[in-house]
Amino acid sequence: MITVSHLTKRYGNRLAVSDMTFDVAAGRVTGFVGPNGAGKSTTMRMMVGLTRPDQGDVRYHGVSYTDLVHPTRVVGSVLDAGAMHPGRTARNHLQAMAALSCIPARRVEEVLHEVGLDTAADQRAGGFSLGMRQRLALAGALLGRPDVLLLDEPSNGLDPDGIRWLRNSLSEFAAKGGTVFVSSHLIGELAMFADDLVVVGGGTLLAAETVAATLARGETTVIVRTTDASELARLLDRHDIVVGIDGDRLTVTGTTLAAVSKIAFDHRIHVIEITESSRSLEEILLDMTGASAEFVAA
Amino acid sequence: MNTATATTDFPTTPFVASTAGPVNTRSRRLDLAGVPAAIRSEWIKLRSLRSNRAIFLLAIVAGVLMSWILATLVRTDPYDHKPFTVAGSFMVSSWFTLVLTIIAGILMYTSEVQHGTLANSVAAQPARWVLVAGKGVVLTAFGLAMGIVGMAAGFASAVASGMDMGDTSGVVATAAWTLVLTSLGALLGLGIGMIVRHSSAAVSAALVWMFVIENLVRSMAPVNLSRLMPFSAATGMLAIRSAGDTPATLAARLSRTQDAFLFAGFTAAAIVIGTALLYRRDAD
Repeated sequence: MITVSHLTKRYGNRLAVSDMTFDVAAGRVTGFVGPNGAGKSTTMRMMVGLTRPDQGDVRYHGVSYTDLVHPTRVVGSVLDAGAMHPGRTARNHLQAMAALSCIPARRVEEVLHEVGLDTAADQRAGGFSLGMRQRLALAGALLGRPDVLLLDEPSNGLDPDGIRWLRNSLSEFAAKGGTVFVSSHLIGELAMFADDLVVVGGGTLLAAETVAATLARGETTVIVRTTDASELARLLDRHDIVVGIDGDRLTVTGTTLAAVSKIAFDHRIHVIEITESSRSLEEILLDMTGASAEFVAA
Repeated sequence: MNTATATTDFPTTPFVASTAGPVNTRSRRLDLAGVPAAIRSEWIKLRSLRSNRAIFLLAIVAGVLMSWILATLVRTDPYDHKPFTVAGSFMVSSWFTLVLTIIAGILMYTSEVQHGTLANSVAAQPARWVLVAGKGVVLTAFGLAMGIVGMAAGFASAVASGMDMGDTSGVVATAAWTLVLTSLGALLGLGIGMIVRHSSAAVSAALVWMFVIENLVRSMAPVNLSRLMPFSAATGMLAIRSAGDTPATLAARLSRTQDAFLFAGFTAAAIVIGTALLYRRDAD
């Protein structure tokens, strides 16, 4: 369980994170989404003591990160998958990390196996692909057998097999009681395995809710093609249903496919085609964060 | 029928969340207990990089080469016109060793900033002074080892090149002061690295200070001021003369002990400022 309370960080005149308050539940995967410059990285850095907040704090099971006896045994984090010396082997990289946290050296071999890097253990990280670096960084996060994982864009550089492996591994980690807090710009990917979402924009919290609740924010649209569009539009309008007409095609919002088809059937209106479309999570989140996006393409 | 089999090197074992109970709160005494762990970690980092092995090797090569050059090419001391002896020249490469230890100290910190691994360390050990202590202990030992192998190589090369042994009464004292200097040099490098945080900028700044700024100060400032410069003190610790020395500068020299305290003072100041900045700045 992570409790983020009133987290605030200012760089000069710029308010990077403003009064951010949310909880991350144990046993669930929580996605952390928002556009570039939304304050995601700054928030995650404050969550592991790399950046000092101007106000507020973050607690893990009620204890702040810097007060944890062995922080990496409670919280495993990957904020920069490229954080490794290119001249050092994967094994040496992990051994140095393990030694600092008083973690037995045998655990290094275990995590190398867990992330599938056993055969590359003695290769220098400088020769690693982005995906291998990502896995090595993940191995570092897993060293202390933490019950919380904080991951910033963990699927960057992974191939489809790797992404599926990561998704399944994180889901199983959460299913066994672990807390997973993961930021990603691949919203579609996140939608496949996140249970909850924390949505930020412009340094402020926009929503902290379940994925289902976010999806419910999207309107359902019913598209109808009919031989008598004007008559069906009139009938729907009588039911206070919003309709747009384009030739023989009606775009209906604020109701369901079943309701529209019943009205058409009751009034013996010939329907050629009727479909219902829901907005994707990506579209909904883009709408939510759109106004706060720092960099918007022209 | 042909079948294609997709292979993957991703294991099937899932990550396992810890089932540990409630976490305890850190006490300040535990920070102190973290120092040995930091030392072990820094030792692994130091020995696992080829660049550090190359720096170590350079100290040996410099010792061999410089003694050989003195014995076979220069032969007589340009100041007193006497032939070089083993006792007087075994530590002639120590100035170069000092430069190497400073560079090693700088790189130990700046490479962590450059490659982002400092963030891993700070995340694992929030008491940042513990990281400085770990680096400091390992660098002191590294500087000591470099001083030893540099002098040993110089000694062996001087003997092999046929130099006379000369007056050996001051050899132990000179060797001891040299080791103090190379150890402090590595720590000074750490301090410079922590302040500047950029490898090439820090190395350039150190070298420009050593070889340009101090010489300019020595040529322009009064002797009583120029003798207080850090690398004037280093020269004094080695009891060697440099090209810019005059009878006046030699006469105004501090004692070796005073020079050692002076150099240690500069080193301590760099470490303290660097540590304060490490706390003040975000960890990259």
